[in-house]
Formats: sequence, structure tokens, C-alpha cells
Amino acid sequence: MVSTQIIKNCLEELTSITKVEFCIQDASGALFTETSGAQATDADIVANFADSTVDSQIIGDSYLLKIDDEEMTYILTAIGTGEYTLMIAKVAVSEIRNLMTAYKEKYDRNNFFQNLLLDNLLLVDIHNRAKKLHIDVQVPRAIILVEIENNESDNIAGDLLGSIFTPHNGDYLTEVDENSIIVIKAVRNEDDYEELNKAATVAVDMLNTEAMLKVRAAYGTIVSDLKNLSKSYKEAKMAMDVGKIFYAEKRVMSYNELGIGRLIYQLPSNLCNVFIHEIFGDNIPYDLDNETLNTINAFLDNNLNVSETSRKLFIHRNTLVYRIEKLQKSTGLDIRNFEDAMLFRISLMVMNYLKYLDSKDY
Amino acid sequence: MASLSLEHVCKTYPNGFKAVKDFNLEIKDKEFIIFVGPSGCGKSTTLRMIAGLEDITSGTLKIDGKVVNDVEPKDRDIAMVFQNYALYPHMTVYDNMAFGLKLRKVPKDQIDKMVKEAAKILDLTQLLDRKPKALSGGQRQRVAMGRAIVRNPKVFLMDEPLSNLDAKLRVQMRSEIAKLHQRLGTTIIYVTHDQTEAMTLGTRIVVMKDGVVQQVDTPQHLYDDPCNLFVAGFMGSPQMNFVDGVIKVNGDKAVVTVAGVDIRLEDEKAKAVIDGGYDGKTVTVGIRPENIADLAEEDMPEADSPVFSAKINVRELLGAEVFLYFDIADTPFIARVNPRTTAQVGDTVRFAFDTKKIHLFDKETEKTIAN
Repeated sequence: MVSTQIIKNCLEELTSITKVEFCIQDASGALFTETSGAQATDADIVANFADSTVDSQIIGDSYLLKIDDEEMTYILTAIGTGEYTLMIAKVAVSEIRNLMTAYKEKYDRNNFFQNLLLDNLLLVDIHNRAKKLHIDVQVPRAIILVEIENNESDNIAGDLLGSIFTPHNGDYLTEVDENSIIVIKAVRNEDDYEELNKAATVAVDMLNTEAMLKVRAAYGTIVSDLKNLSKSYKEAKMAMDVGKIFYAEKRVMSYNELGIGRLIYQLPSNLCNVFIHEIFGDNIPYDLDNETLNTINAFLDNNLNVSETSRKLFIHRNTLVYRIEKLQKSTGLDIRNFEDAMLFRISLMVMNYLKYLDSKDY
Repeated sequence: MASLSLEHVCKTYPNGFKAVKDFNLEIKDKEFIIFVGPSGCGKSTTLRMIAGLEDITSGTLKIDGKVVNDVEPKDRDIAMVFQNYALYPHMTVYDNMAFGLKLRKVPKDQIDKMVKEAAKILDLTQLLDRKPKALSGGQRQRVAMGRAIVRNPKVFLMDEPLSNLDAKLRVQMRSEIAKLHQRLGTTIIYVTHDQTEAMTLGTRIVVMKDGVVQQVDTPQHLYDDPCNLFVAGFMGSPQMNFVDGVIKVNGDKAVVTVAGVDIRLEDEKAKAVIDGGYDGKTVTVGIRPENIADLAEEDMPEADSPVFSAKINVRELLGAEVFLYFDIADTPFIARVNPRTTAQVGDTVRFAFDTKKIHLFDKETEKTIAN
């Protein structure tokens, strides 16, 4: 059933236009909602009317009409008599029925997309249900996964994204867990990754500026058939994970741009452990201090150039050489050599990955 | 209205990437502060830390004297305008500006008042009933700003808000933002990589590179007295010309020799090189394009001004000025000269340096020796 607030808003609007007050009760007479000037009809009268076979009835100075839902019958009371009130009461019943239908359709769509993304639908069902829900099957689409830190229950993020990505443009929103929103984004053609990236960035920036929420977004590849949408969803999920582990500074991740993180992410943890032990033996530098990490990263980023790195770090080159030699003593790797530098960078990434696995209690 | 204080603020990501290193800055109430620097220098990260969208790894952030490191972004009384904005396509300008407030459950009459006030400030009153489709690029940008203004925040944070606009619109919006700052009288922190935006908008500019603050100063001071080679090169377009020169000291006088030409240093500059022990050492000499004169067109007393002859490689006419590209000691130079100049590509032209405007930098540390 549609929320009470939505029905109330709809009735209040009708009242402000027509000056007819309304009240809705369920079949037992319990109050569902009412406009500010209305009074609920006696519960027994409502219950009797609900049991009767007639669709409308005049009781005192009010009209009673039935609103049939698949599951329940609701009774609308319109305060007033005469043709005018009856006509307005019928308009109200029609309006509420339409609202219920639209609501159901929306939630059926939501359910459809959830099942589609989680691979819970048969191929034949996908096409049949999509047709019933007026969803075009052959449109290039991709999944943008938006993850929200400290998501609050009032669903500001969902409302906001729902206002940007509208069904009118072929976009849909759904959720499969509490902390993320899934945007099913329609794009113009199958290689329009620029548009997709822009949409993901807009989503992040809008949630940052309008709702002040900390968010990250990741998107999968564009698929041309609805049945492949779950693939795009899995890719977006993987891009989100890889981004968090290896590229924490990025707020938008693309499945197509995961770099070496993509390879490491696929490795089993025992293989990673064997690799780390092979490189470092028993002296695994799990907790390198910030200064050392910063020095290593700067040295690698500056193509193993001592002068350039020391200049960028604002330290004397001898200090840099001392730090590199100290690292060599503790790890056995001399990062001034390309081979060792490469091993060190990969090892750092693998160690980050292992830390991530530990934190997830694999 | 608010003052901000950033003390030893650092940002290190879990993968070891240090985006911001020991950032210190006091921002006074109503200041228009610009963070400027190349991509990846940490300016946006700093802005996001102020907003609360990035955690601060170490250091303290205070707003109006109160430490806000652990305060939720929505409770910091800050509004932001980012580069990538979207207007809600099916909503009117009014609803676009009101939407954020509705989400925060602000009462309707209050929303109405705030939206109408913001619309008046931004000159959008006539457009409140229009949908985004019916707006020009500049009007859309103003609506995006309106969404921030309606919140009546203590501080505005703007992250390259004009970078998606075309050149003409950028210039127009730049002056709109300057006017907005005067009207609102609010503290604004503005991130850009465009030094023209920085020079024209900011009351003070923070120049950043590799996560480190290089210099904080007024636009004029940054331009005239850069603290190092990076700031000197970054501020100004076309950028400052740099060439190697050797210092020769004779008593309390000093010259710097560039391509065989001795440039006599003014007393203050001479004192700086003598005190710094630069005699016989190679330094980097910097001179801005507007401080090089084409002697055929402009007078510069030759006794004081060193003269270089160079062949013109490229000539660019920009209407009000001409850029001449040439080489001195195999180093490319640009001179910004009077459009009357008759110099053409291939001509050998005599150029004079304005010695008062010469900058000297340590070749190793790249720090300024004398401005």
C-alpha cells in the first residue's frame, strides 16, 4: 500500500481545489488518513458498508465510497451532499486507485531489477517481465554502484539520486543492501564510457554537495542486453572493492581502469602469503611507518631518481640514500634497482590486499 | 560568518599515498581564499577535509575556534559548489534550489523565503518557474550556486566550479562570483588550477604542490615576490622565463652572467648573493615576459639594461600585445611586447632585460635568493 503521507498529500491537494473534505478508513473502520477539516465516520457504519455489495452510499451529510485494492478494501468518506460532492468523491477514488497501481508497478520494477542483478531470474522470465513492466530490453545500460558511508535511514541519498536519474531518461534505481544504491544507467551507445563516468562523478558530487554524504561510486561495463546487467553489477562491485583497497584516493572507479589491482584482487590469499614470504622471509614489513612509506612512494613515483625525489621530499639526497639503505637492510630489497623496486611496489599492493582480506575476516 | 584554522593537517590514504602534508593556514572571516596548484597537488583533498568528506589523518581543523575534526559534514554549516553539478531535469529553478532544504525537512515557508532571497541575489527571480532545459549555461551555473546560497552557510567551498564552462562564460561567471562574495560577505574557499581565476578572485592565494603549501600571500605579492622557482613559474601567463646564469662578485657589487652577457645586480640583490655565498656559482635567473623590451620599439637606457640579440622563432599577435618567442643560450624565452613591433619570424631582434625585475633562484633548492 502507498504510504499514508502520500495519500494524505493527494487528498489535501484535492481539498484545496474542491473544498471537499475527505477521510479514509479501512474495512474495520480504523482511520487510515484524513484531511484537516474531516471527521472519521463511525467505525460500525464503515464496517457495515464494507460488507455490503454497494459501491457508494449516503450516510447523513457524507458520501461513502469503496476503494478496492487486491488485498484490502478501503472506505473513502467525502463530507457533503449533492452531485458535486459525489463527483469529487469519485475523482478521489480514481486518483487513489491510480496511485496504488503506480506504486505497485514501481515496486514490481524494483523487485524485478533486484532479482535480475542477483541472477534470480530465468532468461525467459527476464524478457516476459520486462515487457510487462514496459522496460526496453535492447538499450545499452551499465550499473553505477554508489556506496554511502554512514547511511542514515531517511534515504536522502535515494531521493536525491532518484531526482537525477529518472525513468523518463531510461534510468532506474534499486538497492540490494543498506549502504549502497544501484543506478541502472541507460547510455546512448555501447562505448559511451565518458557519459558513464560523468554520470558517476555527478552522483558523487551531488551527494557530497546536496546531502553532505561521504560516498564512492564504481561502474561496470556497458551491456546491450538486459540479461547481462548482472555482469555489469558484479564488475561494479569488484571495481568498488579494488578501488577501496588499492586506489583509496579515487572517488569514482571504473571496471575498465583497475590496473594491476585487478590482477592482485583475483589472487587467492594463500598464494599472496607465499609470495610475501618469498620476498621478505620472516621480516615482513607490514607496518612501515609513514615516513618510510612516503619515501618509497615518492622514490618510485620519481622513476628511482635520487635527486628529484630528495628535492620533492625537501630532504638532502644523503638522507634519502640513508633511508633507502636502511630499508634494504630490513627487507633485503634495494629499491634503486628496477627489479627490486618493481617487486617492492607489487609487494606493497599485495600486503594492502591481505590487510583488506583480514579486515573482512575471510 | 566564520574563521577557519588548519594546524598541521595531513592526509595519508591507507595505501600510503600522502595527499596533503603539514598544511597550516589561518583563514579570517569574510576572506576569499584560493587554493591553486597543478592536478594532484592536494588542493581538492584539503577542501574535502574542510567539508568533512575526507577524514583528517592528523592535525586539527577549527571553525570559529571549535575543533571540528569529528563533526559530521552536515553539521559543519558549510555549503559546497563542485565542478560536476546536475540540475534536477524535471524540477523548476525554484524546486531545484529548494530540494536540498526539503530533504533536510526545513519548513515550507522558510524554504520559500530562503529561495526567493537567494534568487534575488543571483538575479534569478524571473526564472524561478523555468525548467533547466530553458536556461543558458550561465543561468544553470547560477542555479547550482543558488542551491548552496539558500543554506546560508558560514563557509562556501567551491571546487573548480567554472571548469565545465566555455571561456567566455568563465570570465562572466568569474565576475559574478566576485560580486557574490561582496554581497554575501561570507568566507569563501575556492579551488582552481587556473592562475588567472586565482589572481582575479582571491584576497589571498595558497599555492600548493605535491601536497605541500609553497606560499600563502596576496595575488600581487605572489606575482612580485615568489618564494621559489615553482611559484614563480606557476603564477603568470605566459610563465616567467628561466635561464642559468653564473654569479660574479666584485667587492660589494655583483653581476650574473647569462649567455656571455653580464647583468649588473641591484644593491639589494647583490647583497643577497654575496651573503648567500653564491660567488662563482650557477643560479637560475628568472624574468617575466613583460619585463623584456624590444629595443626597436621601446626605450630602455642601455647603460643599465643588458642587451641580448636573438632570432624570432614564433610571433603571436593577441590584439593588445604580441608574444615573441626566441632562444637565449638554447633556452626558450617569451617576450610580451607592444603590438607596434615590426619584428617578424626570422628577424634578429635586440632585447633588453629590466634588471630591477630580475629574480634569482638557488639552482639546487629552487628557493628564491632575491626578487
